[in-house]
Amino acid sequence: MNATPTTTTITAPAARAVAAVKRYGSGDAAVYALDGVTVALPTGRFTAVMGPSGSGKSTLMHCLAGLDRLTSGQIYIGDVELGTASDKQLTLLRREKLGFVFQSFNLLPTLSAGENITLPLDLAGRTPDQDWLRTVVDTVDLGDRLKHRPAELSGGQQQRVAVARALAARPEVVFADEPTGNLDSRSAAEVLRLLRTMVTDLGQTLVMVTHDPSAAAYADEVLFLGDGRLVDRLEQPTRDAVLARMQRFGD
Amino acid sequence: MLTIALRNLTARRRRLIGTFLAVFLGVAFLAGTMTLNATLSRNFDNLFATADNGVAAVVRSDTLISDSARTGPIGGLRAPVPSRLADTLRTVPGVAAAEPDIVGYGQLLGADGKAVGGNGPPRLAGNWIPSEQLNAYHLVAGRAPRDVAAGQPVEAVINRGAANSGKLKLGDTTTVQTPLPVRVTIVGIAGFGGQDGIGQSTYVGFTQTVAEKYVGRAGQATQIMVAAKNGASQDTVVAAVTKALPSGVSAISGAAYTKANTDAIGKAFLTFFKAFLLVFAAVALLVASFSIHNTYTILTAQRTRENALLRALGASRAQILRSSLAEAALLGLLASAVGVLGGLGIAQGLKALFDAAGFALPAGGLAVTWTTILLALLVGVGVTALAALGPAVRASRVPPLAALREAALGEARSGFGRVRTPLGAVLLGGGVVLAVAGGSIAAAGAGAAATTVGVVLLGPVAARAAVRVLGSLVTAGGRLAGTTGVLARRNAARDPRRTSATATALMVGVAVVTLLTVFATSVKQSLKDDVDRSFAGDLAVSSPAFGGGGLSPQLAADLRRVPGVEAAVGIGTGTASIGGASADVTFADTDSLARAVSLDVRGGSVAALAGGHAVGVSDKEAKKHPLGSTVSVMFPDGSTGTVPVGLVYGPRGSFEDYLIDAATWSRHADQATDTQVIVKLAPGTSPAAGRAALTAAVVPCGSPDVQDRQQFADAQASGVDVVLTISYVLLVLAIVIALAGIANTLALSVHERTRELGLLRAVGLTRRQARSLVRWESLLVALFGTLGGVALGTFLGWTLVRAASSSTAIAFAASPPILLLILAAGAAAGVLAAARPARRAARLDLLAAIGQE
Repeated sequence: MNATPTTTTITAPAARAVAAVKRYGSGDAAVYALDGVTVALPTGRFTAVMGPSGSGKSTLMHCLAGLDRLTSGQIYIGDVELGTASDKQLTLLRREKLGFVFQSFNLLPTLSAGENITLPLDLAGRTPDQDWLRTVVDTVDLGDRLKHRPAELSGGQQQRVAVARALAARPEVVFADEPTGNLDSRSAAEVLRLLRTMVTDLGQTLVMVTHDPSAAAYADEVLFLGDGRLVDRLEQPTRDAVLARMQRFGD
Repeated sequence: MLTIALRNLTARRRRLIGTFLAVFLGVAFLAGTMTLNATLSRNFDNLFATADNGVAAVVRSDTLISDSARTGPIGGLRAPVPSRLADTLRTVPGVAAAEPDIVGYGQLLGADGKAVGGNGPPRLAGNWIPSEQLNAYHLVAGRAPRDVAAGQPVEAVINRGAANSGKLKLGDTTTVQTPLPVRVTIVGIAGFGGQDGIGQSTYVGFTQTVAEKYVGRAGQATQIMVAAKNGASQDTVVAAVTKALPSGVSAISGAAYTKANTDAIGKAFLTFFKAFLLVFAAVALLVASFSIHNTYTILTAQRTRENALLRALGASRAQILRSSLAEAALLGLLASAVGVLGGLGIAQGLKALFDAAGFALPAGGLAVTWTTILLALLVGVGVTALAALGPAVRASRVPPLAALREAALGEARSGFGRVRTPLGAVLLGGGVVLAVAGGSIAAAGAGAAATTVGVVLLGPVAARAAVRVLGSLVTAGGRLAGTTGVLARRNAARDPRRTSATATALMVGVAVVTLLTVFATSVKQSLKDDVDRSFAGDLAVSSPAFGGGGLSPQLAADLRRVPGVEAAVGIGTGTASIGGASADVTFADTDSLARAVSLDVRGGSVAALAGGHAVGVSDKEAKKHPLGSTVSVMFPDGSTGTVPVGLVYGPRGSFEDYLIDAATWSRHADQATDTQVIVKLAPGTSPAAGRAALTAAVVPCGSPDVQDRQQFADAQASGVDVVLTISYVLLVLAIVIALAGIANTLALSVHERTRELGLLRAVGLTRRQARSLVRWESLLVALFGTLGGVALGTFLGWTLVRAASSSTAIAFAASPPILLLILAAGAAAGVLAAARPARRAARLDLLAAIGQE
């Protein structure tokens, strides 16, 4: 993809944060996890969010995903503003428009891989679109393991099931929080290639929080957060470029 | 290590609420039972000791006709002694006074013409003993009775309790049925000891002449009371009196007499209460022990890493074991201590309840003894520690390495775990076979016990399958509860041991209740069936079901003269000594018996009994006394005879094991009263008209109940309703305790699954769905327990009925509505138990749940 700043502005953003502030405590003890972040996440793109510990990258993702609420500012998923949504509306939004891949413990141990994949649809009482589901399952390459319980799958396979689950409901945005943090490098590469494929081939919008420069190199763009602010962005990142930028946080 | 136990207790207060509650309830019932028992014993002892204060010796016949008579006087039925003997005894050195004492039956009618008396206590009548020292009653108002001219109402003293409940006062005229109606004028009101009477029993005191005429026989007394001169000890008096006595009569000391009285009361009242309340305590503690075991199993699993860390830091196995046990014991001690206090409340409440139900008991504060307190504490701590022993041992076996491992620790299957299922299968199979085919009561009992243990052992295996099947049924294959239902089902099935342990608490409680219910229903149904088979009349006049209150033998004769009545047969019950053993006897007019009752004649004929030339025996007793053999009979007046067995009859609910002609019986028994008169109406008389006529005709007798066939059958079975009521109270108790257990397990499960719930919430589980997830799981566990309990209880009930049917005529009968009610109660308990854990699951902090390591 030959991305330029121009294409970014043309594509309508899948999710936006406007002057997002997240404060913990008040007065002298106030800590700002997010301190006025404005960012748009373009549709059909793979965005990585990086930054040192405590930079606010996880908070930003939690707020974008409707898992947490801002102190001030707005979050939009498509045209929907999340600030005024009730807990129930947020839940339904997550169920219908968002997908999640966590670092670990992505799957319910009592459900089979296949059941885990359709879980958000089942919770919503929706009938899965069989063609789409087949596409997803083919993409994650799990064909013969759908009947297995999570305990019977390897870590990489478990994360692939999680990716499939995130895609099953055809969400507007998929959020991934350190999806390869618990994997060995071979499995990690597999999962990252899969994430890249789902953006390139299936046109998904993906936001991934990571601290691993090699993982960030799979993204179209990397956003760097420091002390709750957006400090830099890097188009078409390479591992070395990301590493170099990250090292500057130490200065 | 004790510090750790203490910290664990205080840090996990909420998790231990369920355990605390279970122990508390069990101990409270135990302490309540023991306190009530001690209180009743003490109060009865005090009462009789005060009342019989002046009695130094009692002279009575050596001929004991019956010691355990249901229908006889308190302390057993003896042959009478001559009243004249009192004159002889007055001359004995050391004797201050000697008076004949006549004790018998007399039903007092109140101001409204209805019989006075509670639901069971005796209605006593006798002679008013002029000596204050010897009379257990003392005047509180009015004067002693005096003989009056013939034709006048006789004078009588009644006890204050009877006066109050019958709304009678000094100078009133009323009737006492002895059973012959005697018109009396009340001239005195009496107290007994410090009280208004012996519990709710009524007392009427006549002059000796009147008492001999109506209650006893001329020149005879039940016993002779002797008072000592100042300074003479009871033993001296007994020794002196004994020398003056003819053969066949002997003296006992006043102290021994008081003790015999209180012992007899103890047998009559307290044994029943004790059994009744101890069953409560046992069920409570049994259900509690399962709940405790379960809670500690879960806690141990959750603390695996903690314990491993302690082990890695150098704690020995024994230290871990001691610490776990100490924690349980401390909790048990705390809950038991509060339970003892609760027990006092229960004792007070039950006492009030019994008073309200008409079993009025002597007044007096609660008797709190050290025995009660120590035993209740010991049992509470013991049960808690014992139930926690298994989990504590498991905790001590955690390898130190477990502290370092990240992975969830699968519980290592212990040696017992491997043999559990096969052992359970063998016990269940063997138990069922033994119970079904065993034959003897002992075999059935052993089979039932083995079955129960087998079912408990097989719980985990059953839980998995049962939850799956139940889950699909209840959620209509997932359509009803959707994914939430499926998830709940999987959750309930994921740790079958935990599910089954949780459900077992409920199962055991429900099984006990179902057993009682099934047994009671069977007895009730059998009694009704029996009435259907045997009741050949149209209407029945009955005395109250309890207490041996009687109908005058004259009533049957009177009713025969009522227009529209074709036949009226009086049937009564008494006590005699037959073949040297105390026996309850049914007596009836054998000439007309067949017109009112269809007896199941197995041999001989009813006609053979006429004139007392033969006795009838039930087929059970016919094993001892077959048709044609002769038996020795000692009647209540002490006369004896040897008569042939002329009839063998099959079991009939209200019939005792021996049948004697009424005319013969009443010649040898004082105050022979009928318990029922069965009336056959003449053809063409409508039941309504016959009933109206009878109701009018029985008014002079204190208006006993006139019942049709259905009412009569219900009345016969009414005693069983008490058992049913008890079983419902037990059900509530068992469910409350099991509910605490289920709630506890669920709360712990919700805690364990925080991350899972967080994940579910993140991918779109609404709060409502989170609540319903926990609720469905709880419902499934509760249904599993309740269904298991109902099935087990029904089987045990069937076994019990079968075992009992060898001696009595009862057949298995279960009432589907009642069983459904129990099921519904169990299901409701499940939903209720889920309330708090469900709320917690719904309120879960999403980010914290996801971030939890």
